[in-house]
Amino acid sequence: MIDSEQHPYVEWIAREARRPVVTDPAARERVMAAIRAEPAPAAHVPLWRRIVEPRALTLSPAAIGLLAAGLVGIGVLAGGFAMNRDGRMVDQPRVGVAPQLPVSDTVVRFVLVAPQAETVSLVGDFNGWDASKTPMARAASNGVWTVTLPLSVGRHVYSFLVDGKWSVDPNAPLAPDDGFGHANSVKIVRRGSVL
Amino acid sequence: MSDDAADVQRVLAGDVDAYAALVDRYYDRCARFAIRMLGNRDDAEDALQATFLRAYRALNRYQERDRFSAWLYRILVNQCRSIAARRAHRERVFVREEALLLNAPDRTVAWSGEDEEFVQRVLNELDPLLREAFLLKYIEEMSYEEMSALTGVGVSALKMRVKRACDRLRERWERIKND
Amino acid sequence: MRLHRPPRFALGLSLAALVALAAIRPVAGQDATVDRLAKLDQYNRAAVELMLDSAATLGLPVSYLRSVAYEGIQRKADGRAIVRAVRKQFDLLKTARATLGTVDSEELTAAAAVLGAGARPNQLATFRAQQKAPSRLEAFAVWADLLTRGVPAEDAFSGLSKLWVDGADDATFLRLWKNVQSDILQGLNPGTALQNRIRETPVRASPQVKPPEGQQENQSSR
Repeated sequence: MIDSEQHPYVEWIAREARRPVVTDPAARERVMAAIRAEPAPAAHVPLWRRIVEPRALTLSPAAIGLLAAGLVGIGVLAGGFAMNRDGRMVDQPRVGVAPQLPVSDTVVRFVLVAPQAETVSLVGDFNGWDASKTPMARAASNGVWTVTLPLSVGRHVYSFLVDGKWSVDPNAPLAPDDGFGHANSVKIVRRGSVL
Repeated sequence: MSDDAADVQRVLAGDVDAYAALVDRYYDRCARFAIRMLGNRDDAEDALQATFLRAYRALNRYQERDRFSAWLYRILVNQCRSIAARRAHRERVFVREEALLLNAPDRTVAWSGEDEEFVQRVLNELDPLLREAFLLKYIEEMSYEEMSALTGVGVSALKMRVKRACDRLRERWERIKND
Repeated sequence: MRLHRPPRFALGLSLAALVALAAIRPVAGQDATVDRLAKLDQYNRAAVELMLDSAATLGLPVSYLRSVAYEGIQRKADGRAIVRAVRKQFDLLKTARATLGTVDSEELTAAAAVLGAGARPNQLATFRAQQKAPSRLEAFAVWADLLTRGVPAEDAFSGLSKLWVDGADDATFLRLWKNVQSDILQGLNPGTALQNRIRETPVRASPQVKPPEGQQENQSSR
């Protein structure tokens, strides 16, 4: 029985798959060219005559079974995934996985001079861009805000939120706008040191 | 008499160009099924060519009481199965990353890009018989009776296949969101 | 991404139910940040998650793309803008990978940023590495920075690629950037500053200056 309340993901797949495809008109031309090269179909048979179903178009259960057996391999090749006989997927290594740098942490201090600010937080890929995760602390006298945290080796993109306003790090290279209208800052972290 | 039946009669009476009307009417829709089923345009085009050729040759066996589309689809579904079986030896894999290399001419000019590619990849993961049932039910929107007449498979077996296809897709969703 | 809102499709599930459904199974070790995508409506969320899955299949860095979505959420961007942004970064990653081959994800995202800032793929191809080439992270960071600041693409490329081909290391690129930066702060045009500083940068890589150990501060001023 089919669940009449279709899962939204399945509904989405069906909807996308239902989109019309645009074909090359030349392909249709090729079909007609092949048709025109054919002898005319057998003389018109009056439709009132009883006509036997062409045997080629029905498959016996055994034939279907054979096809199914043969076709299981197709799924493997077409999809790049492996399947065992009863159709269950077997994990395959994904194509072209990029080797990862060993993950280790280096402690990094971020500094921002903002004497007028009341709240400053550090927001970036290391804290899921969550402004509540890494608030910065203000040194009493000089308007210097800092925070120190471990970062994994590699490239990090971040920005500061100063009293609700976004600010890049003036002393770090810029990262281009990701599509939200703001550039960010970049920090390259090396094992045991920070560039 | 439907348009289709009228065109069939014209063809059988000797008017080859009347067949072009049938091709025009059904090509894109059949193409959609063939592409989704086979996963790439080249094989789909082969299947379509073979389908329309066979339909032409067998035209005198079409009975007006059948829906032409159902009759045509029976041929199409079988052609797709044949192509898939032959393809096993050619190891055709549907991958498009290579086309992104810098100056590669993009021959699939009407390919709409990311979503279609992704959906196709998801469909390709389904066992072919599950995929076939899923496509006939949800893309061609056929009734189980029509599907049964078309594939020669019983209604309850088809319902099971469609259900299993949906289960697989749901499992995939679970895997994605729990990543 | 042209996901159609489907008012006509009776999905039978309210949005709240769907979100609840999505959150229903807390997997052990699942980071709380994963649920942040729940702030997107179900269709935008599905679009983003599907792209993440697609990226994973291609071996592209998923966490980076996810991070772009989080950034958009924190910046209160429109859901569609977020989907577009993730899509754009996805495409940049693919182009970067097609250009540079299989490289680690840090270099890939750095290269994608360079492309996003306006470099052309055939310029990026100059930085294709042989077996044991030095890291390009700093070179790419500087390149993206200069482009973002408005240095003409040809000038940025010719200057930096010359250094790279001559064997400049990360420390050299960093020094170059700091010098250019201070020149800009003093009012010099970025392109001019770059050209000046490139000229005075030693052509042959000198014995490596050891990077400072442990913590490092950068003083920033507003």
